Amino acid sequence: MEILDNLALGVSVAFTIENLMYCALGVTIGMLIGVIPGVGHLAAISMLLPLTYYVPATTALVMLAGIYYGAQYGGSTAAILLNLPGTPSSSVVCLDGYPMTKQGRAGVALFMTTIASFVGSFITVIVLAAFAPPLADFAIAFNSADYFSMMLLGLVAAAILVQGNPAKGLAAVVFGLLLGIVGTDVSTGIQRYTFGLTFLYDGLNIVAIAMGIFGVTEVVANVGKVVQVKNDQKITFRSLLPTRRDLKESIFPMLRGTGIGTGIGVLPGTGTSIGSFIAYAVEKKVSKNPEKFGKGAIEGITAPESANNAAAQSAFIPTLTLGIPGDAVMALMLGALLIHGITPGPNVISDNPDLFWGLVISFLIGNVMLLILNIPMVGLWVRLLKIPYPILYPSIILFIVIGVYSINYSDMDIMLVALFGAIGCLFLLLGFEPAPLLLGFILGPMMEENFRRAMLLSRGDLMVFLERPVSATFFAMIAALVVWSIYSAIRKKRVAVAKEF
Amino acid sequence: MERDIGKPLFNLFLLIASASAFVAASALPNIEIPGDLSAAFFPKLLSGLVFILAIPCLIKDLQEWRRAGSEGSKAAAVNPVRGIAQWCFAIVLLVAYIYAFERLGYIASTALFTFFCVMGLALISGAWSTLSAAQKGLSLLFALVFSVVLAGAIFYVFTDLFQIPLPT
Repeated sequence: MEILDNLALGVSVAFTIENLMYCALGVTIGMLIGVIPGVGHLAAISMLLPLTYYVPATTALVMLAGIYYGAQYGGSTAAILLNLPGTPSSSVVCLDGYPMTKQGRAGVALFMTTIASFVGSFITVIVLAAFAPPLADFAIAFNSADYFSMMLLGLVAAAILVQGNPAKGLAAVVFGLLLGIVGTDVSTGIQRYTFGLTFLYDGLNIVAIAMGIFGVTEVVANVGKVVQVKNDQKITFRSLLPTRRDLKESIFPMLRGTGIGTGIGVLPGTGTSIGSFIAYAVEKKVSKNPEKFGKGAIEGITAPESANNAAAQSAFIPTLTLGIPGDAVMALMLGALLIHGITPGPNVISDNPDLFWGLVISFLIGNVMLLILNIPMVGLWVRLLKIPYPILYPSIILFIVIGVYSINYSDMDIMLVALFGAIGCLFLLLGFEPAPLLLGFILGPMMEENFRRAMLLSRGDLMVFLERPVSATFFAMIAALVVWSIYSAIRKKRVAVAKEF
Repeated sequence: MERDIGKPLFNLFLLIASASAFVAASALPNIEIPGDLSAAFFPKLLSGLVFILAIPCLIKDLQEWRRAGSEGSKAAAVNPVRGIAQWCFAIVLLVAYIYAFERLGYIASTALFTFFCVMGLALISGAWSTLSAAQKGLSLLFALVFSVVLAGAIFYVFTDLFQIPLPT
């Protein structure tokens, strides 16, 4: 019965005019962002992060989360109609979505991806509501040493599982941790890495960092890259309707995709893209006709689409229950919590039940809104693709600048945005992932606090991290991850050498 | 394979920066709180870690750089200069905008930034050269009007509706 009370609380929070309005705003922006290639949800969330200063924490999270899962819906539209993925996770939808368009089945593809997105999200929200509270209850018993090792595991996993070189991922994490300790040390009052600059005494502003490394970088990186595409697809209501066979062939792929996405989404560093690629690979493997994949197979769009939406929702499980963000978007969600003075961790659900349950219900509302928004407005979304980038670019930059200026009314914050924008571009150019940097920055101060508390309680005995069963388990997992990473690097090298010969 | 000195140089920079951060952390005042770690402990640990992690990255990038050189590949088919020029243009314009933000006021600096952005990107992308003289005149007029209207509209929305004071 407790869950019914909690859901009732969630309904009372989510159905306020303010939260409904921000939910609608978030999902609409998400859809827009998802549709337009070259502007990602990370840039959009970081651009709207300053708005969270002016609204309650729940409302802020409702809107930011709406952008995230809304973009997963929108991403497939451009992928299907133009072979241009709006989000990285929807690139797999191009494989079969675009061939369907060429066969004159764009309407069916758009309809089925919307249904698949809805199914993936809806089921995972139920999983979130069912499993998040018990997980948080379990984690409440953690002490400082356990927290430290859990955060370390989250960071190591995020760095290693991220695409590319694990050493670079780890370097980015540690660089982020270093940025996190800029400012006044809370225990001693000593200024660290402030270089006498008073605006750094309170530490670096998360909004400036996020806007710089995601907003500015993404916009700058797409300068001269985005190709404007003409689209003459006409989507009528009749063309949207799937056949009975389409529906039959989609049910199990959607459910498998949801399962895969839910599992992948809770892992740190994986994000929505990996879930959709795995779902596609699995579908191809289990199919009786694998040869039709890449030629317009409906399973090739429904499975990855439900997987990426499920992953986008299940990523909230470790974020809200353990305070461990799996990716950069979740790190920004934690940033929004921190802005409101809410310390991420297992206490979030017990201390702020209205926030958690309001968010859960808002996910359901947001998904229904997206279902309604997506199909009838396809024509509008497609027209948005025609906005010239030279107009889009300055407009985004102006919103970034004004957003960060509105926090402290200081041009130093805008300078920081430009600096982190340059760092983000450099990262991109040199193959470093910026997401682990943000994770390190967010978790850095909390890790240091827990590490120091653990050392204080154990009188400086490092063995405390191995004596506690929970902490020891986390350290064993870290060791396994590192060993696996080294092993796979050696194997890859051997395969490359064998191929050379 | 393209020979790229940027990556090893960046890792070298990381090595130097982390060593500097370590030295700076060592110079922090040592305020003893019984049982607690010093304020310098974490910065020293992290800068040390960056230093250690930058070493394999540097070695790997140097190996790749040398391998690319020994293969004598001249297949640098993609000219990165144009791409980097576009990035630099965007960043330099942003920095100039920030510099002018409080000095020229919001409307003037924003209108100038938008105008140069629209025109600059049209020039860099090569779209400008495909236009006829009449289209160029029209585009110039559009960029001018768009810049002024956008700056004015944002100024009005943020100062009057959201009550956020912007520099004038």
